Amino acid sequence: MVAIHPEGHLVGDRRGLARRTSWVLAALLLVAAYASLAVGASGVSLPAALADLLAGSEIDARTRIILLDIRLPRLLTGMMVGASLAVAGAVLQGLFRNPLADPGLVGVSAGAGLGAISAIVLGGLLPAGLAGLFGPALVPVLAFAGSWLSVSLLYVIATRGGHTSVATMLLGGIALAAMTAAFSGLLIYMADDQQLRDLTFWSLGSLAGASWSKTLAAAPLMLAALLAAPALSRGLNALALGEAAAHHLGIPVQRLKTGAIVVVAAAVGAATAISGGIGFVGIVVPHLLRLATGPDHRALLVNSGLLGASLLLLADVVSRSIVAPSELPIGIVTAVIGGPFFLWILLRRRGSLEI
Amino acid sequence: MLDATDVTVTLGRRRVLDGVNFQAAPGELTAIVGPNGSGKTTLLRAVTGDLGYRGRITLAGEELSGIPAWRLAPRRAVLAQFTPLAFPFTVAEVVRLGQIRKGPGSAADLTPRALARVGLCGYASRPYQELSGGEQQRVQLARVLCQVWEPVEGSEARWLFLDEPVSSLDIAHQLQVMQIARDFADVGGGVVAIMHDLNLTAMFADSVALLAEGRLLEQASPEVLLRDDLLSRAYGCSLRVSTPPPSGPYVLPHAARLG
Amino acid sequence: MRLATCRRLTLAALLVLPLLPAPSRAEEPQRIVSIGGSVTEIVYALGEEDRLVARDTTSTYPTEVAALPDIGYIRQLSPEGVLSVNPTLVLTEEGAGPPEAVELLKEASIEFVEIPEGYDRAAVLTKIRRVSEVLGVPEKGEQLASDVAAALDDAGRIVGEETSGTPPRRVLFVLSMQGGRVMAGGANTAADGIIRLSGGVNAVAGFDGYKPLSDEAIIEAAPDVILMMARGGDLAVSDEALFSHPAIASTPAGETRAVLRMDGMKLLGFGPRTAEAATELAHALAGG
Repeated sequence: MVAIHPEGHLVGDRRGLARRTSWVLAALLLVAAYASLAVGASGVSLPAALADLLAGSEIDARTRIILLDIRLPRLLTGMMVGASLAVAGAVLQGLFRNPLADPGLVGVSAGAGLGAISAIVLGGLLPAGLAGLFGPALVPVLAFAGSWLSVSLLYVIATRGGHTSVATMLLGGIALAAMTAAFSGLLIYMADDQQLRDLTFWSLGSLAGASWSKTLAAAPLMLAALLAAPALSRGLNALALGEAAAHHLGIPVQRLKTGAIVVVAAAVGAATAISGGIGFVGIVVPHLLRLATGPDHRALLVNSGLLGASLLLLADVVSRSIVAPSELPIGIVTAVIGGPFFLWILLRRRGSLEI
Repeated sequence: MLDATDVTVTLGRRRVLDGVNFQAAPGELTAIVGPNGSGKTTLLRAVTGDLGYRGRITLAGEELSGIPAWRLAPRRAVLAQFTPLAFPFTVAEVVRLGQIRKGPGSAADLTPRALARVGLCGYASRPYQELSGGEQQRVQLARVLCQVWEPVEGSEARWLFLDEPVSSLDIAHQLQVMQIARDFADVGGGVVAIMHDLNLTAMFADSVALLAEGRLLEQASPEVLLRDDLLSRAYGCSLRVSTPPPSGPYVLPHAARLG
Repeated sequence: MRLATCRRLTLAALLVLPLLPAPSRAEEPQRIVSIGGSVTEIVYALGEEDRLVARDTTSTYPTEVAALPDIGYIRQLSPEGVLSVNPTLVLTEEGAGPPEAVELLKEASIEFVEIPEGYDRAAVLTKIRRVSEVLGVPEKGEQLASDVAAALDDAGRIVGEETSGTPPRRVLFVLSMQGGRVMAGGANTAADGIIRLSGGVNAVAGFDGYKPLSDEAIIEAAPDVILMMARGGDLAVSDEALFSHPAIASTPAGETRAVLRMDGMKLLGFGPRTAEAATELAHALAGG
């Protein structure tokens, strides 16, 4: 007697549910994208502008700049950064076989930050200030290098004989973050007090500096990572059974790990370079989705991208409307939501954590 | 045919396997026995392609180390002693991980059939991590069966490698699992299993390889190999082999081959 | 006595100027976002505050300015936030950013003027003249500049009289003291500038900008007086905390427990109140 659903689905198969969730999340992303284009400190109305456009009348320069040069690049940046952080979180958790791995927690973001700061200081562009450098792709590329180095080091530190220790991973992450912080501190010491304040704001995370030049510089890395990630899903599923079992199931384990590290490094590096330290998206989003539709990475990675993008867009809408015409750094918004959520996960799992 | 010739494995500085010759034939259940630390698991890991080795191992005439993981996977499946699971998959999702091939011929979902085979029909939607150790082991067996569902494909036998498949099971399920392995061999597949229980080995195996201290002492049929002197020497304690009918009150698992 | 005169002068300027008949200014910018505390202060001192539509976080003086919407921090401008108040002119201290935001504002055909920064007498007067030119009220600017120049001269005279014959006091400006780490103002800072204007000597002029000081460097600097900003909250440092710092305790300033606290914006803003600040500080340094 095999338990079969009326539609012929086997009980315990959540693939249908995951697919339906994808549609819901896609709709949510559309709503979030609309909100991101429609809501802002200025009273510019998207529907009115669209109506004008359809009626064939000219849109004034201010409206055009606000919609096309301010809100649109910010929408795209927010979507890519949110999706990148969430997908990177899911991939990192799959790689470490641990749902608590988060790019921010295990020092990967710190590595990306060090790369970005190095680019700023060593790029010889210090006088132009932090943001002056974002035009060229130097910052995203060095941030990528920094996060790649961090993930690789972390993997070497935390994995022994194919087994990744949670405690070693978290402690290794802390050690890595401390070391990168020391290097960053050295570079920051060389900066003047104006840049110091820039760095403080940058570390809080913000999409405020989103512009076409920055978006286009960081987009290739993030898009490549997002498009490559689904190819890892079968391997990450098998890896959930351990490296040996994954190998038995025909997965080229070493290649899978390298691929996962590169994807995480590219996504986190580029996202950090463009938006600073935005935390908790990488842990909250995949965790929620695993609760809702299960840990199958084929659905998890796609849905994480959709939900991460939506959440960051909505957080950004909050960050720019709550103290308008000024702005709250978005990292504060995500931390305020994500911090308690992370604690909740920890408390729920307290019994089963092997730390 | 699985053929290992003069296989030596060194882990760190320790020589864990030393010049082992080992054969397993399709259509047979080959057991690997020996005391703890004798190199049983190392031998199994060598023939599943998990470990580097010196010597020669061939699968159907092909040198094992030259076969990439993706080509090896459809030809053999491996059940470990214990398989940890990182995320809260359901039983059905775990079993489906074994269905590595897509396309015509494999379109049918094997998951319900594999679960039925190991007697876990009602378990499909249960979270794997909440099952008992024995149940988890049977779910993993179902997954492994999915991977090599047809014991013979074309003219080539497929292989099941089992590392102590019955160690965490009660006596009824021990018999059930051994019977599944026996059936797999009976229709032409190859089975290699590490065994601790010599009575079950005597009941189900066609060939037994006895290891001690990293060396192969002997490989032969159970009737030939299970001798007082050899076993006592290998295990380092006095053992007596009785031939049925039993000459005293002890529990003897009853199975088809004895009847 | 002289301090009071000087204060009265500034006050008079503040009170009288707005009452002057306003010339027609049809072509001058009417909706101004003022960024940077000193620039905002100058706009008020010129009596042109009715043209302001928004300010930045550092613009806190005079207190009425708090009623204006705050568009955030000078280096983290949100372009849409600025655009939302419909400005025709953004008047800012040096260093407004990020560059993308500035770029967009210029593109939206908003006039964008940066007032050069500096930490001496000439810089204050230049700032005032520049702001008044941009606002289209150069006469008012000249008036204010000469008032401020006179006040600065007064301050200089006080410094000359009160410190004659005594060696100049060594002053250590402490920006913050967090976790026992002393952040001090080196050369090319507003702190250095105001110390000079007040006849003091910056005890740590060996480096540029604000840097953390090692204990040995503090002892080596041997300040006679510690200068700090008066502020509350987490950043406030009590005398207790300051003088229990072992390195500071062993300096001449520590032995005499000599610490001065002044309003940060007045002290470091280099705007219309700089003369007042210099006079106050000079008195205090002279022990008055």
